[in-house]
Order: sequence, then C-alpha cells, then structure tokens
Amino acid sequence: MRGKQVIKLTVNGEPYEVEVEPHMTLLEVLRDKLNLTGTKGSCGVGECGTCTVLVDGKPFLSCLTLAITVRDKNILTIEGLARDKKLHILQKAFLEHGAVQCGFCTPAMLLTAKALLDENPNPTREEIREYISGVLCRCTGYVKIIEAIMSAAEEIRRRGSEYE
Amino acid sequence: MSEFSWVGKPHPPLKMEGVPKVTGEAIYTVDVKLPGMLVGKILRSPHPHAKILRIDKSKAERLPGVKAVLTFEDIPKVKYASSFRDMPMATSGTLQPPDQYVLTDKARYVGDPVAAVAAVDEYVAEEALKLIEVEYEPLPAVFTIDDALKPDAPQIHDHAKGNIAAHVKYPFAQGDVEKGFAEADCVVEGTFFVPRQVGAHLEPQACTAYVDPTGKVTVWSPCQLTFPLRRELAKIFSLPEGMINVVTPFVGGSFGTRLSLYCEPIAIALAMKTGKPVKIVHSKEEDFSTLETRTADRVTVKAGFKKDGTLIAMQMKVYTWAGAYAARAYLAGPILLMWGLGHYRCPNTDGECFVVYTNTTPAGAMRGYGNPEASTVVEQIMDMAAEKLGIDPVELRLKNVKKAGEPSNLGPCPIESTYEDECIRIGAERIGWWEKRKLKKQEGVKRRGLGMAAMMHCSGAWPLLIEHSSAMIKFNEDGSVNMIINPAFPGTHCWTTLAQIAAEELGISPEDVHVVTGSTDTAMFDLGSHASRTTYVTGNAVLEAAREAKRQLLERASKMLGVSPEELTVKDGRVFVKADPSKGLTIGEIARSTIWDLKGESFNISGKASWSSRYSSPPTGAYFTEVEVDTETGEVKVLKFVVVIDCGRVINPMTVEGQIQGGISQGIGYALYEDYVINKKTGVVESDNFNTYRIATNYEMPEEIEIIFINKPDPKGPFGAKGVGEPAMVGVAAAIANAVYDAIGVRLRELPITPEKILKALKEKEKG
Repeated sequence: MRGKQVIKLTVNGEPYEVEVEPHMTLLEVLRDKLNLTGTKGSCGVGECGTCTVLVDGKPFLSCLTLAITVRDKNILTIEGLARDKKLHILQKAFLEHGAVQCGFCTPAMLLTAKALLDENPNPTREEIREYISGVLCRCTGYVKIIEAIMSAAEEIRRRGSEYE
Repeated sequence: MSEFSWVGKPHPPLKMEGVPKVTGEAIYTVDVKLPGMLVGKILRSPHPHAKILRIDKSKAERLPGVKAVLTFEDIPKVKYASSFRDMPMATSGTLQPPDQYVLTDKARYVGDPVAAVAAVDEYVAEEALKLIEVEYEPLPAVFTIDDALKPDAPQIHDHAKGNIAAHVKYPFAQGDVEKGFAEADCVVEGTFFVPRQVGAHLEPQACTAYVDPTGKVTVWSPCQLTFPLRRELAKIFSLPEGMINVVTPFVGGSFGTRLSLYCEPIAIALAMKTGKPVKIVHSKEEDFSTLETRTADRVTVKAGFKKDGTLIAMQMKVYTWAGAYAARAYLAGPILLMWGLGHYRCPNTDGECFVVYTNTTPAGAMRGYGNPEASTVVEQIMDMAAEKLGIDPVELRLKNVKKAGEPSNLGPCPIESTYEDECIRIGAERIGWWEKRKLKKQEGVKRRGLGMAAMMHCSGAWPLLIEHSSAMIKFNEDGSVNMIINPAFPGTHCWTTLAQIAAEELGISPEDVHVVTGSTDTAMFDLGSHASRTTYVTGNAVLEAAREAKRQLLERASKMLGVSPEELTVKDGRVFVKADPSKGLTIGEIARSTIWDLKGESFNISGKASWSSRYSSPPTGAYFTEVEVDTETGEVKVLKFVVVIDCGRVINPMTVEGQIQGGISQGIGYALYEDYVINKKTGVVESDNFNTYRIATNYEMPEEIEIIFINKPDPKGPFGAKGVGEPAMVGVAAAIANAVYDAIGVRLRELPITPEKILKALKEKEKG
C-alpha cells in the first residue's frame, strides 16, 4: 500500500520497528500492531482522555497522535508501569483506596498521575484536580482517585522510590 | 469489636478483580481478539423514518477483503425485544412487545441498522459500507411526545395506534383520589419535564461472536443480563439456549444502558455467514445515537395534604418519551408511577402512564430508571407543599415516610426494613439545615440555597420481576474455595462483596475465594446486574451455598475429630471444638482428606443454591445539598453533599462509598449539565459524543461530601445487606433542584438546570 513507513519507537523500554500508514494513530499502533490493549480508546475526538499514554514522560492523547509523529520517542503505556512484577505505588494506592471501579479510565488516570508526580512530587489537591481534569471517569466521582494520588505522592516521597 | 471477620470492613477489590485493571491486563469486550477474526460494521439509516425500496449490496460484496454483506433479506425475519420479552412482570404481567428487527426494511430512527458487513479490517469494512446502495422512501417523522400524539401523526408501528406503545394504569391504586383532594386542606400540582440521560460509559459498545463447526455460538458481550440475553438470542436464531454461550469480559461501565441487547445478533449473523469470529465495536457517536438512554418524561402531579402535613391524595400522569422501539421505556414509564406514588404513605392514589413511540433513539434504562425521574418531580412537589403549608420540608417528609411492614413502593409486598426517617434527621443535622435556612438571604449576585430529597428504592425488583440467582461453592485441597457465580460485573466490585459474604460464612479469607465466572456455560442461572440486586439476591444465593458447604465441612470434621458437628465452629481457616479450640483441623486438612480418601469415601465438599427472592427490602436514604447560584451568569455550583444511606448492613464500606460518590457525580450531571439534543428537523442526535454531551468532571464535584451509613441489618438481606448501586444517584438531582429554588426563589420545572434557563427564569421573575 502507498505511503507505508517503518518507524522506530521505544515502548515500555522495549525497542520496536513498526510498519505504519501515515494516517495511523498511536492508539491503533499500540492496540492493533503491538497488541498492547491496556491502552483504551473511547471518544476518538480528544475529549475523554481514556487513551492517554506518556510520550517522553508527558501525557498524550494517543487517539489524536499520528504514529509517525512519535518516531524515536519513548512511550510508556499502562503495561510498563509495574516493574519486575511489582506494582507502582500509584497502582497499589488506586486499589487500596477504591479508586478503581469499571477500570476503563484507570490506565489513563494512572499514567496522568505518574506524569504529575514526576513533575511535581508534592501536589496540592487543587493541582491534582487540575492535572487529571483531562481524563473523564463516569464511575467514581473522582473522590477516591484524588485521595489515592495524594496518598501515593506521600508514599513515594517517603520511600524515595516509586516502587516498594 | 465487630462480631464479623470480613463483613462491614473496607476491602479493596480481590486481586483477581482489581489488579488486572491497574496493569492493563483486564480484557474488556473491545479487547477480545481471536484467530482469523473479522471486523463487523453496521450501516445505519440516515433518515428518521423511511421505507427501504431497494438495497444493492453487490458492489460492496465485490470489494476485496469483504467476507459478508447482510441486509434484512439475509436475516431471520423475527421480531425481537431489545430488553427481552421474557422478563415477566409479576404484578401487571406486562411484557415488552417484540417490535424490532435485527436489520430492518423500514427505518424508524436515525441510526436504525439496515445492513452489516464483515471484512478483513476496519478500513475495508468502512469502505464496504459506502458501497452499499440503499434507496429510501423518506416518510414523515415525529420527534416529540406532542407531535407523536397529534391525530394526523405518522404511524411508527402498525401495532401501536396513535403511537401509544403502552397505556398503563398504576396497578396499586388505592382509595378515591377525588375524595382525597376534596378533603385536603392544601393541594399542590405541577407539570415537570425530566430529560433523557446517556449512560456515557467509557467503553464503547462491542460484541464478538463465533460459531464453531458444531453450531455452538459463543458471544462476548458487555450485557448486564447474560442469561436473558441468551434467551432472546435463542429466540431470534431459533436455537436451543444450550447452543449459545454468552461470555462476559470485564465491562467498562454500564449504568443500565447495557441491560439491553444491541449489536449481538448482527455479530452472530455475520459469524454464521462467514464461519469466522466477527467483532463489532461501536464508535462513540454510534453509542450516543443508538444505545438506550434514560427516558424523558412529562409528569403531572397533584398532591393533597391535611393542615398538619399528612399526605392524603396523590395523582400522577406520565407521558414517557420512548424512541422508535419500546425497549425499556415500556417498563420505565410505569415504574416511574410506582416510585412516585409508592414512596410516601398515601391512602388515595391513582395514576396512568402513556409510553409514546417517536422516531428517535430508543430510550429506557439508566441507573435507577424511573426513580431519579420520579424523585425529581415528587420531591419538588413535597417542597412546594411544605412552603404552602408553612411546614419545614424535613418535617413534612418525616410525617409521611413509610414504616417497616407497610406495602413497598413496588407492590403489596411488605417493606422488610426502612430507616428513612433516621436518614432524614441525621442528614438535616449534619448539613445544618435549620441554622442555615434561618440565616439565608436572597440577595446579592451569588446566592446560596439548601435542598433535600428523601429516597426509597429497591433491592432487586421483586415483586415486579423475578429475582433469581444461583451460586456454587466447592472446596479445594488447600482449603480455598471456588465460587461459581455469574451476576455480570460492571465495575461495582461485586466479586469482592460476594467473596466477603462467602468468606464470612466459611471462616476463610476473601482472597481464598477464587471466583469462577464470566459465562452462561460456566455458572448456574443468574438474572444479572440490575435493580441494585447483586449483593441482595446473588448474595443470598452465595450465602445459602456457603451454608451448605459449611454443613458438609463440619460433618466431615466431626467424623475426623470424633465430636458432633454442633460442637464445632470454623474461623481463620480452621475447624475446631468450641469448648476446646486447641482441638481442631485446618480446612485444608479436612478438604484434602475428603477428596483423597483411601477408605473409598471420597467426595468434594461443596454447596450450591438458587435464591428466588420473595422479599422487598428497599434501601432508603436522604440527600442534602448546599448550592450557590450566580445570578449574573446563571451558573450553579454544588458546594456540599450529605448523603445518609440505609442500605442495611454495609458489607464493604469502600465500595458503597464509591457507589455513592459516583452517584453524586451522575446526579449532578443529570441535574445541571447532561442535555441530550435531538435535531428537531432531522432527528439526528447532536449531542453524540463527550464533546457535545457534557458529563460532570472532577471540577463539578462538591468540595465537601459526607456519607453516613445507618448500617442496621435488614431481616432478609445476606448478613442484613440491601442494595445501593442505584440509590446512590436517585435523589441527587431532586435535592439540587430544591436547593436552586431555595437560592433564587424560582422553580425550574425542567432538567437540566442550565445557566440559560436560570437567567430566563430570573428575568421572568423580575418582570413579575
């Protein structure tokens, strides 16, 4: 087919070479080409934030990001958040605080929260509210999500590590 | 100290229920992948009402990569009911009419499926849809209740004269309302409009179907009612139920929308035709335009009170705005009457409901359906009456709430337990009701108001619908159990709650309850997840199964220990003699030696139970809120919510809190933001995605939320639990509407209460 290109990406620390068409989104590449279905799609128009992944540490809407624009970048998806079978402290906090219900926004929420804590290890409630405002959740009412992020931030500061 | 080991203690989701969701490993229906799988897509009518004169699919079929193209001519011409005709209503006997075809030759709303394709990928499937030539003969269409009821309105269905899908009288009418109104000292009445609300779950609707060479059909579906779905599919395809297996992966939110069937039969038909697995995933625009919404209703209420506030007569007339097919609107309208007329004690009641077909998206179920609608209307009428009578709204409700033993809201079955009065009293105190109402001043740009609503809901829909669930529990050699259940699991973490119930009874840890679930082939019958029933109905089935397993366990242990079973108890994974705790065996030792018995007396300790609920244990509660209305911009900010909830004994406070916080968010959306817009000329849904249909974000959540549990056991719920999923949002919008009135002195009779409506109302008020 016309216009196919091979791009290099690093996803969750693993190098990939993927053949993509110019119109393909990062979301399609992750889910369909790399079989990383932890990244979810929903609105397709950049409104709900469900498809958020981290590109070089910053939250990106993978449904609006053309795959060819992130060549040679470092991408973190939810599958790469746990390390050596150990959950990230944010993942543990989400479970322990009841911040997960249906779980469909959870990958995006967790990655957005990680980007926040990488930038700002000691955020206020207001700063958390603002930072996660791009990710919709229909189940929880956000209260426990904010509590979980507050608690994880404290735990990470205390340990000096994102993992136990 | 609590008498319980697990019941009543906050429990994070079981590892198997929670961990996959935070690692991305949880497989949802949209994630299902099978070898050789094809992509299915649906061609939908662009016309709200049109006859199909001709469909030519030959060009689409010739496109390389297309494996099947189906139209109405290729599908069994069987009418079905999207919300299942086999949901018998125990009281009125009403059944939803099968009024819908899988693929239609007459479109009745914009989005009605007329053809479907299966192709090797998404792009080819999209291309193929464009190549299907359809010649339509557009027909006149109606989009509103009023237009549909006009004498010259186009007929949407042959069976429904005047577009009336159903005319239902309130089945539990009492006394004589006219006499009641004549005897009343104060009569209030009003007409309100409550709008559609979209489930707006994040996971798009999806389905994968596969037909194996023996003809067995497997369907991966997010449907909340898997066994009823299986039965309806069996009818559509003339298959025995046993030849269909409905598999439920993780579900990305459902909120009632997923009670019905959607693209499942299309996926099955494509799979049958191609011999390959076929997966259909909706776009979010398809979701917003074609999935069932909450019904919109126009409700007229008249209520008569004695001077002292006693409610003595109440009458309701409801017009339910159904879409092109009856779907759950058939039940939603009539049940609105029941919630509305059955909440408070009232000797004279009467009501009727017209369910009206229109050329719009089918409507029916969303969280608590009928009750947030009824509550929005009746709770405002209560406030209007309180003002007219000069009685405090709190006192007026306390005067009229039902007590245990009185008939429930859903029929003559007595209420097993209710602490609604206590909820109201505690809530009023916690929000500072009396102090703040005294201090209130209606001047300045930003005005504050307090509002409340009382609530009674249900734990399963008995006596309206059958409420049947089953459970099996078997012991493994290590002393853990497998719990085999299938209530569907839309994110409420009901596996965990049900495991807490089993663990409590069996004396083991919830993490030692391995849940086996997810398909109709695996588990015994369970109606599914609706009507706030899972903890109450499936929970009772689990408890019964656990009791039987425990009986077998203690009997076996008694033989091994040489004591009678009555002398034994079980705790922390160990069976021991009550009088001498040192004498005992671990459950593992007992289970292992029972499975591997060299004396030839092997058996597997297990229990199974079916629970067919015959009780009504309505959860009750009270919602109090404080809002601030900006009289210059018309914006409403919700500052605080106090929710006091009587859901019996709380099994897992963490999940119940989560339900209530989520309910507040959806209720705020319903009250203030969520506006389902259908173009009045074209019938196209304009609010067809998250950018045009606004749900509450974290900014709209109040800064302060206080949740209080009454936590008193119900006599019939497992460990005294009642339902809570839907009650979480029932009274939220009503409380906000009352608070807005308290703030600005104008009552808005139509949700959502948008800034435009507030400014308009304030202007009219100024004009007098």
